[in-house]
Amino acid sequence: MTKHFIGERIKRNEDPRLLTGQALFVDDVEIPGMLHAAFKRSDYAHARILSIDVSTARERPGVVAIFTAQDMGEDWMPGPPLVSPPPTVKDVTFHSRRQAPLVKDIVRHAGETVAVVIAENRYIAEDAVEDILVEYEPLPVVTDLEQALAPDSPKVHDDLDSNLAAHMYQQKGDYESAKARADTIIKRRFYIDRGAAVAMENRGIIANWDEKSKQLTMWDTTQAPIPIRNGTAARLGLSDSQVRVIAPFVGGGFGPKIMMFYPEEMLLPWASKKLCRPIKWIEDRRENFYATTSERQQLHDVEMALTRDGHILGLKDDFLHDTGAFDPYGLTIPLNTQSHLMGSYVIENFSSNCTAVFTNKPIVTPVRGAGRQQGIFIIERMLDIACKELGIDPLEIRRKNFIPPDAFPYHNVIIDQAFSELIFDSGNYKAVFKKTLQMIDYERFVKEEQPRLRSKGKLVGIAIVPFIETTGVGPYEGARVQIETSGKVNVSTGYGTQGQGHFTSFAQIVSEQLGVAVKDVHIITGDTAEFHWGTGSFASRGAVVVGNAVHAAASSVRKKVLKQASKVLATPEDELELEDGLVRVADIPAKSISLGELAALANPLRGAVEPGTEPGLEATDYFGPQSGTTASGCHAMILEVDPETMMVDIKRYAVVEDCGKVLNPLIVEGQVHGGVSMGLGNAFYEKLQFDENGQILNASLADYLIVTSFEMPPHIETGHFETLSPLNKLGTKGVGEAGAIPVPALFAQALENAFQGRDLEILETPLSPNRLFELLQESRTTKEKSQ
Amino acid sequence: MKLKGEYTFDASREEVWKIFRDPDVLMMALPGTKSLKQIGENDYEGELQVHIGPIAGSFGGKLTVSNEVPPESLTLTVEGNGKIGFVKGAGDVILINQGDTRTTIQYSGEIQIGGRVASVGQRLFDSVSKSMIDQGLNKLNGILQDRTAVHK
Repeated sequence: MTKHFIGERIKRNEDPRLLTGQALFVDDVEIPGMLHAAFKRSDYAHARILSIDVSTARERPGVVAIFTAQDMGEDWMPGPPLVSPPPTVKDVTFHSRRQAPLVKDIVRHAGETVAVVIAENRYIAEDAVEDILVEYEPLPVVTDLEQALAPDSPKVHDDLDSNLAAHMYQQKGDYESAKARADTIIKRRFYIDRGAAVAMENRGIIANWDEKSKQLTMWDTTQAPIPIRNGTAARLGLSDSQVRVIAPFVGGGFGPKIMMFYPEEMLLPWASKKLCRPIKWIEDRRENFYATTSERQQLHDVEMALTRDGHILGLKDDFLHDTGAFDPYGLTIPLNTQSHLMGSYVIENFSSNCTAVFTNKPIVTPVRGAGRQQGIFIIERMLDIACKELGIDPLEIRRKNFIPPDAFPYHNVIIDQAFSELIFDSGNYKAVFKKTLQMIDYERFVKEEQPRLRSKGKLVGIAIVPFIETTGVGPYEGARVQIETSGKVNVSTGYGTQGQGHFTSFAQIVSEQLGVAVKDVHIITGDTAEFHWGTGSFASRGAVVVGNAVHAAASSVRKKVLKQASKVLATPEDELELEDGLVRVADIPAKSISLGELAALANPLRGAVEPGTEPGLEATDYFGPQSGTTASGCHAMILEVDPETMMVDIKRYAVVEDCGKVLNPLIVEGQVHGGVSMGLGNAFYEKLQFDENGQILNASLADYLIVTSFEMPPHIETGHFETLSPLNKLGTKGVGEAGAIPVPALFAQALENAFQGRDLEILETPLSPNRLFELLQESRTTKEKSQ
Repeated sequence: MKLKGEYTFDASREEVWKIFRDPDVLMMALPGTKSLKQIGENDYEGELQVHIGPIAGSFGGKLTVSNEVPPESLTLTVEGNGKIGFVKGAGDVILINQGDTRTTIQYSGEIQIGGRVASVGQRLFDSVSKSMIDQGLNKLNGILQDRTAVHK
């Protein structure tokens, strides 16, 4: 094979459709006779429902049905536990409490669904929602993590002894003995607050039960169409084959769209079956803030034991993790946090208690980064603090502690989110770090430019933060590859797509095997009628798990092609090559047959398909990694702070990404850019503001600040570094979350650097211009400190 | 959220006290009050129409007067519900004698809001509630002066 497709900068197959508005999103689906749903949601974060009066609402013309929990009868049941607690962590405590389609007695967070109105159109449905009168007995609310664990705290679930949702302890080595040997112990408390994912497209569902064919079709903005199909069939007592779930183009997933099942996802199919009518629900922005999951609140008490010259001997981190009112997603996020607390470094002794806490706030499930960001924030902040306390250069302390390139596979002993041992399969952290330093021109900036700018009174800071990202975990994904008689190739997978470029990167993998143009490979994602095995888009696993399944299926098709072409062309297989949609004899290019013709021969109308063979040029294959593969990278930036407004201007931003084999650098860079924008939001702009009654005070895009092009750096310089993963054939690692992970740590380091000479110590994220101002007021100059 | 402020009426403390305990007058004075009925010795029931930025709607609810020390102080408790959310709060009002024709009232309280009024209107709630209170107190003062003028 002479032509290569993997690794090429190929423009995305899907973009012409997306950019010209020709791509199908859930809200584009219109079905004759379709009804519309709107939800009555609780205004209270914690209250007992005394009565629900729907009589006025029912009389409104155009209202077809109103359902409360009572109306669901025996069909009422909470959602399934999505992820079980890790059976491999010793003595783990876990109290599973799951959301219900409609609240029966007690609402536990503001925005919980109390009733649903189904009407002829959304306007009527919304008006009827306002006609519903709910009488509540308000109950005391708990939102603070420490208060929630106090003995006198109100309880989110009164059948439990406390608000403790889960507890797990993980260790490596023996921290206490490391502490005893240490020259210095650094202790700090860190606070990370909650932010929203704010996908451009809110959630949406259409359920259409056809009474005659006894088929349910569901369009859903889910990241996990197959589990939604399986679960919906089970909930409704249908066979899997009676339910088809389609996740068409989705305008951003970022994690929350894999929460199974959202109340609306349980209700719409049920109501459609009950009414034998198609029903549509599209979430509005305010609903999204309450009803869609969010993440990141944790409180960490950290201790680091070091030698005088900056070698890390051990790390201890006991933290509280906010899970909101329910915990359907198990311990995925805190497991990720634990898995990233040791960062890119050799830390022989590690000890971490994690306590997950119920609060009267919306449910917490992964958001891009999913606990990893918190882990990296802690370890990198601790190193920055250690540098100041020990008088060591921030580059030096990192170089000193990096896991060396010859130490892979590196065993971290603790258990990761996939319930297997945390093993870093491959990487070269020092080299990635070095490359990033060069890209940002670190040394020159610090020696020449920064002093020059400082002398002009400019508050400029530089930062560099390396990170790791566990990606590409199991259990498995699959794909079917088929050559059509037109010579084009059809590929289907159960995986859903939310903008990651699957239509291009998966196509490149197929093109590499079959020698067809990337534009001639047609990818179908997220339609259970097309492929009905799979799990879902999470943990940056598309390129790794689906990519390798596509690769395996395409390789099998290639074998079939060669076998058949060998017969047709009367040439040994090893003398054949696949290129330009043809199979040809390498030495005699004129002697060839097109893939389309071969496909026709493989599906004859007369004669017989030989025993032991299958018709068509088609293969299905799966990939299920035993453990995830760990990507790495490094971000650097230079920023300037406006001393009057505390607004920040990012002057330069550089990223080096090691995601193993790069399938398409353009797509990797796109993922990184998007990730950086979310990371910047988490660092300086985006914070869900809860009051003590569990009300979100900024549930609109007027008040909740997402990063726009104005806040982004003018340019993100991206460098690629490939350390192939030995765990899969393509050598790929994930990159979907990478861009967001190190940013808060990077931002904090850059700010401290910009305010050199003050004892500004950033122990929290997200910040804001206001918060930065407050922290500066509290800080002292070095001179004041010594007095 | 905390509400705090003071206002000086051009009337005696007794007159100010009287007007505070008269639902008909209060209804005239409080902007957006659609109804206010006395349902018990110290309990009132009413409906209040509010506009807070993009949010408009009415709250139906109860007003309770307690800790009465005429004509010096009282506590007001409100609890309201509506399509746009809920309001719950309590506040202490102190009337300070500043001579025969001047009375300063000081009020301070905590108010809790929820629902749409909190999530979208919060940014404006502070200023809207202050301006509603000021409007109301100005109106009351006007009414008081008219009354005093009649008596004279």
